[in-house]
Amino acid sequence: MKTIRSAMIASALAMAVAMPARAETKIEVLHHWVSESEVAALNTIRTALAAKGYGWQDSAVGGMSGGNMQQALRSRLAAGNPPGAMQFLGWEGIDWSNEGVMRDLNDLDKANNWEATIAPQVLPFVKNGDNLIAVPINMHRQNWVWANKAAFDKAGIQQPKTWAELIADGEKLRAAGIIPLAMGDEPWQIQVIFDALVSDVGGPDFYKRAMIDLDDDALSSDTMKQVFDTLRQVRGLVDDGFNGRDWAVATGMVINGEAAMQVMGDWAKGEFLAKGLKPGKDFMCFATPSETPSFQFIIDSFGMFKVKDAEVTKAQDALAEVVMDPKVQHDFNIIKGSIPARTDLSVDDFDDCAKLGFQERAEAIQNGAMLGAATHGFAAQPQFSAVFGDVAAQFFVNDMSSEDAVKMLVDGINNAR
Amino acid sequence: MTRKKPISDRVADWLPRLVMAPSLLVILVGVYLFIAWTGWISVSSSRMVPSYDFVGLEQYYRLWATPRWHIAVVNLFIFSSLFLLVTMGVGLVMAILLDQNIRAEGALRAVYLYPMALSFIVTGTAWKWILNPDLGVQKVVNSLGWEGFVFNWITQPTFAIYTIVIAAVWQSSGFAMAIFLAGLRGIDNSVIKAAQIEGATLPRIYASIIVPMLRPAFLSVIVLLSYIAIKNFDLVLAMTNGGPGNATEVPSTFMFQATFRRNQMGVGAASAMMMLMTVAAIIIPYLYSELKESRNGH
Repeated sequence: MKTIRSAMIASALAMAVAMPARAETKIEVLHHWVSESEVAALNTIRTALAAKGYGWQDSAVGGMSGGNMQQALRSRLAAGNPPGAMQFLGWEGIDWSNEGVMRDLNDLDKANNWEATIAPQVLPFVKNGDNLIAVPINMHRQNWVWANKAAFDKAGIQQPKTWAELIADGEKLRAAGIIPLAMGDEPWQIQVIFDALVSDVGGPDFYKRAMIDLDDDALSSDTMKQVFDTLRQVRGLVDDGFNGRDWAVATGMVINGEAAMQVMGDWAKGEFLAKGLKPGKDFMCFATPSETPSFQFIIDSFGMFKVKDAEVTKAQDALAEVVMDPKVQHDFNIIKGSIPARTDLSVDDFDDCAKLGFQERAEAIQNGAMLGAATHGFAAQPQFSAVFGDVAAQFFVNDMSSEDAVKMLVDGINNAR
Repeated sequence: MTRKKPISDRVADWLPRLVMAPSLLVILVGVYLFIAWTGWISVSSSRMVPSYDFVGLEQYYRLWATPRWHIAVVNLFIFSSLFLLVTMGVGLVMAILLDQNIRAEGALRAVYLYPMALSFIVTGTAWKWILNPDLGVQKVVNSLGWEGFVFNWITQPTFAIYTIVIAAVWQSSGFAMAIFLAGLRGIDNSVIKAAQIEGATLPRIYASIIVPMLRPAFLSVIVLLSYIAIKNFDLVLAMTNGGPGNATEVPSTFMFQATFRRNQMGVGAASAMMMLMTVAAIIIPYLYSELKESRNGH
C-alpha cells in the first residue's frame, strides 16, 4: 500500500514537472545517434532550436546502424503518425519522398540559397526532382587510414603512397611485432576497404561505373578481379582475432600501438582525440593511398514528414534553418568529428585531419573524385550495395578465388535487379 | 459454485469459452492474419514498403538465387539438428544423474538451470569473448604453457556455426534437464522396483523402461527447442553478427536484413514463408503422430 501511494505521488510529481514543457511546440525527431559524442553534437541543434522557441522531442532508436530506426519508422507511417523529422542515410530520404510522405523545403531553399552551398555530388541524396526534401548537417569521409605514428617509426616506414606500398609495409610492421591492420570481420568493415580499393585501384570513373551504374562490363572486368586480388593481400595484414571485433575496438588497437593502421571513416578520429592524441604528432590520418585519390562521402541529413499540425510544420521550418545554420554546422561537426556539409564555411579551428579532409573534398569536387560511399548506402540502392558487402565479406574470410568472387558479384547484382 | 442455480451452471459452461475468447482473437489476428499478410507480400513486388500487386513466385526465385540464403538454410539445418541432439543428450544425462538422490540437488538444479535465465544477447557476448583466440580459451591454454594449442573455430567460416551450437547448448541444456527431471519424478517407483526384482541392471532399466516412458517429456523438449532453434536471431547477432563474412547467417537474420536493411521486403517475406513451411513440415507430422497416439492410449 505504501509503495503504491508513493508511486502515485511520484507520478503526480512527474506530471507536474512535465506539464510546463507542453506549452511550447515540440518537434519529434527520429534518429539513431545514441553514443556520447553523437548526443553531445545533437545538443548544439537542440539548443539552437530552443532559441527559436521550439522544443526537440528526442526519439532515438539505436542499433543496427539505423536498421532498427527504419523498422520503427515503418510502423509509425503505417499508423498514420509520422515523426516531425528524421535522420536519413543514403537513399532513404529520396525513397521515402517517392512514397509521398515527405514535404519539400523549396521556399526555405530559395530564400536562403542553400543549394549553392551543397556539393553537387551530394544533391541527388537531398533533392528529388526539383524538390529539396532534406537538409544535410555533416559529411564524413569513409576512406581514411588512421595510423599510429610511433608504430610507423618503430618499423621504420613512411606514409604509404599506394596500396602496394602499404601491403609491403605490412612485412616490416610484422617484423617489428605490430599487427599491420586492425579491423573486425563484420561485412561493413570489410566493405569499407573494398569501396576504397575499387576507386584506388580502378580510379573514380571505374568506381562510378561499377558501384553506382552497376555496369556489367565494369563488374566483370579484370580491374574488378584486381580489386579482389588486392583485397586478398589486405587479408594478410589482419590478425586472427578479428572475429566480432567492433570498429572502435580496432581503433583502440591502433591507439595503444598494438596495431599500426585502420581503414575507417572519420568517426574513428574521435577515439584518438578522446585519448588526448594529437594528429600529425601521435597519429596520422591520410586518404587510402592511390594515384587517383578519391573522397568517399557519407552525409547525415534531416528530412521532414508531412504532418497535419501547422505548428509542427513551423517547427520543421525552424529545424531546417537550424541545421543549415553556419554556426550550428560548425559547432556540430567539431564535436561529431565530421566536416560541415556546407562547402562555404571556414574550418580554421578544426583539427588537422578535418582541414585535410575539407581541402581534399574541394579538390575532389573539382576533379570528379567525389564519390558516394557504397557501404553506407551512397552509391547504388541498398539491395545492390549490400551485394558488394556480401561478396567482399565472403571473399575476405574464405579461400575464394578472385574469378569466383567476380562471378558471384555479377550474379548477385543481376539477381537483385 | 452452488448447484441449485442453473444460471451459474450456464455461466460455468460458458466461462472457459469467454476466458479463451480474447486470447483466441489475439492469436487469430496477431499470428494467423499476419502469416496470411506475409504470404501475400511474398508474392508481391514489395521493396521498401508493401505494395499489393501480384508477381507470382518471382521473389521466391530471387530468394533461392541468393547465395547468402543457401548459407542460411544450411546453417539452420546444422544448427538445429546439432542443437536439438546435443541439448537433449546433455539434458537427459544431467537429469538422470541428478535423479540419483544426491546431496544438494536443489542447489545443483538451480546452477544448471541458471543459464536459461540469461538473455541470448548476454550468452552470445560472453561466448564471443570465451571463444576469441586472442582473449579466451586459446589464449589461456597457450599462456599455461601449451603453445601450440589452437581453438579458433569462431574465426573459421566453416566452423563458426558450431561455436553457436556450443553457446546455445550451454544455455538450453539446463532447461531440457528440468523437463526431463520432472518427467523422471513422474515415473512410478514400483515399475523400477519390479524391474530390479526381475534382475535388470540399472543401465538396462534406464534404456528400456525409463527413457521410453519419458516420451511426453521428449515431445515438450523437441517442440520447445526447435522453436528456439528456428527463431535463433539474437544469439547469432551477439556472437558473430552473421560473420565471419556471412558464414553464420541464419534465415532469421537474413529475413531481417532483406526486409529492413536492403529494401527487399518481398524477398524477406518469401524467406519468412520458407521458414514457416520448414517448421510446419517438421512439427505438424510429429505433433500429429504424437498426439494421436496419446489419445489412443487413454
